[in-house]
Amino acid sequence: MIQPLTDEKRHTLMPGPEGLIETQTLEVSIGPQHPSTHGVFRMDCVLDGETVVQLKPVMGYLHRNHEQLAEKMAWLGSMPYTDRLDYFNSMSNNWAYALAVEKLAGIKVPDRAEYIRVIMAELTRLLNHVCAIGFLLQDLGAWGTPLLYAFREREKILDLFEAASGSRMMCNYMRFGGVRVDLDEKMLATAREITALFPRFLDEFEKLLTENEVLLARCQRVGILPKELAINASISGPMARASGVEYDVRKVDKYGVYGRFDFRIPLGDVGDVYDRYYIRVLEMRESVRILQQALRDFPQGPHIAPEVKLRNFKVPAGDGYGRIEAPKGELGSFLVSDESGKTPYRYHVRPPSFINLTILEDMCLGHKVADVIIVLGSVDIVLGEVDR
Amino acid sequence: MALLGKGLLEGMAVTARNFIGSYFDNGRKERLVTYQYPEEKMPLPENSRTFPFLVFDENKDPVGTMRCVACKICETECPPQCIYIVMDRDEKGKPLQRPKVFDIDISVCMQCQICVEVCPFEAIKMDNDYEKSQYGRFNELVEHLPDLLRSNEYYHKVKPTEAAAVDAKLKAEKEKKAKKAAPATKPPVAPPAPKPAAAPAAKIAIPEDAPFTPEQCEWLGKFLSTVSVGGAAAPSGPSPAVGETTAQQPTTEAPAGDWPWHDPGLGLQQRMELAKDRTFSDKLMAAMAQTDCHACGYDCRGYADAIASGAEKDLSLCLPGEAETQRKLEELMKEAGKL
Repeated sequence: MIQPLTDEKRHTLMPGPEGLIETQTLEVSIGPQHPSTHGVFRMDCVLDGETVVQLKPVMGYLHRNHEQLAEKMAWLGSMPYTDRLDYFNSMSNNWAYALAVEKLAGIKVPDRAEYIRVIMAELTRLLNHVCAIGFLLQDLGAWGTPLLYAFREREKILDLFEAASGSRMMCNYMRFGGVRVDLDEKMLATAREITALFPRFLDEFEKLLTENEVLLARCQRVGILPKELAINASISGPMARASGVEYDVRKVDKYGVYGRFDFRIPLGDVGDVYDRYYIRVLEMRESVRILQQALRDFPQGPHIAPEVKLRNFKVPAGDGYGRIEAPKGELGSFLVSDESGKTPYRYHVRPPSFINLTILEDMCLGHKVADVIIVLGSVDIVLGEVDR
Repeated sequence: MALLGKGLLEGMAVTARNFIGSYFDNGRKERLVTYQYPEEKMPLPENSRTFPFLVFDENKDPVGTMRCVACKICETECPPQCIYIVMDRDEKGKPLQRPKVFDIDISVCMQCQICVEVCPFEAIKMDNDYEKSQYGRFNELVEHLPDLLRSNEYYHKVKPTEAAAVDAKLKAEKEKKAKKAAPATKPPVAPPAPKPAAAPAAKIAIPEDAPFTPEQCEWLGKFLSTVSVGGAAAPSGPSPAVGETTAQQPTTEAPAGDWPWHDPGLGLQQRMELAKDRTFSDKLMAAMAQTDCHACGYDCRGYADAIASGAEKDLSLCLPGEAETQRKLEELMKEAGKL
């Protein structure tokens, strides 16, 4: 049974045709089977007329026991399950998990593998942001067109992922100490082609959206997230940067070979839905720059550290935290190993979608129901990661 | 925003260009084309994967020539536990190196390819057949051994480069084995003396009506014969090292099958710890991977006994144990002065 959010109804007086009318608030449950909630997610809203006065996010409908399952299987066994966290960005999820295990076991990753990882992670960022914008426009009511353009571009990247890893979305591509399959010349040529054509698509996409009057009217000054609140709620990723927080794990940690690339971090100043849209466009342009540099300097060598075993893989006792800048924010993987070293003793994921979702109420209060939908769309959540 | 509506009109120009552009591509391949699916299929990249299948080598005898030896490594490693294997045995209960039951529940399988990566025998490979729909959702989605078997030619058809690499690797392994076997064939011919001595001892030790299966009889015979031969050989002493080791052995306390280290889940250190105070053969056995995979041609017990009795000289046969086991075996043999 659904627990009511409030026991008392708020009574207010509204002007009617024959004097004042007594009104009361209405509790509306949006989701979990609502298409605009991007999955099985529920928002318990209390409405005064059409204005939101209270909102409670309810999650857990897609809980799959990811962390507990990892404690019962070998280290490699959890790798395919990380694909299913944020199922848009399986490559980045693989990287966070592999990074934690590599830190724990002290594995050195060869240069070529690091470059392959950067290429895959940045392509993942492109496809995630382009889809996030497409879905945001879908939430705004622009049925089909922007989302289909986004999916068209995503499809080209997914074709490369399928050629490299064997699967379009559930890539299971990275291994401890490198990646499973080396990129051959044909795949590299595809990656170069995608990188070369993407700025043209972005120009076209921006022409379609950035100065569109309907988009401006709907998105500007809606769902403002102040900088202080973003820092206090440990928001990360494009959401934090749209509010003006200069924080990017690629710059802060310089994990992998990110220290070698020249790129900038775009920052917003208002922190509304429009900023969050535009930050993603700018980030894609920076990703294209990283891709160009990575493909230019692509080194020769092994694609996986040869000393790492597949079967009977063991790590010494200790703990390791691997964090990366996933497209949605800071994705962390925390692993504890005990003496046996055969399975993780404890495994925890820091999911960016989940933590970015915690301030949903603060962004939605005072706005209309229709705005709640686009504020949620601009957070860019994937329920596989929220609920794990 | 100089002119209200300019952004809208520009956006419409973009959609119009895309609409018309979808008909005139100028060969740039920027626009994607829809494949008319059931009639027309998209060409799949070679790495593309769906569900696993089992490879066999000769079309005449699929079950006899399948590469799987029922070592259960994939069953252990499979993350969603969708593989179920039962080893085939002959009527005497002796394990044959092939599975009797090999089931994959494709409603559980998540197509992660880990079974393929961990298989030491190149026996299980990924298919790219995605048309697997069935009318039921329970037994219909469990694939049994006959459904899973595919010929090597099929593997070549699905994944040409990968299959060629695998064939080359298997050929090289075979040649290496043949080269190793060629000098090894001579020593078994040269010392025929211990074998006849062992065989009668085995026959004497176990009466026909003893409550054992033939397999147990065979093992017990071997075990008792090594003990009695060792004991008898100690005074005359063909090699003092053998005499010493056999003298230290606690001979009868441990009943057959009491092997606490016989668990593939244990690490090598733990297994050696458990077998610390046991016989030399037990120590050798504890160094094996305990999967009873028959990659060496024996089960773990048999391989250890064969090495201990000197019938098997090659210490590199334990595939699941990999280099770790080989190193340990060499160390143990050196300690016993046999190497």
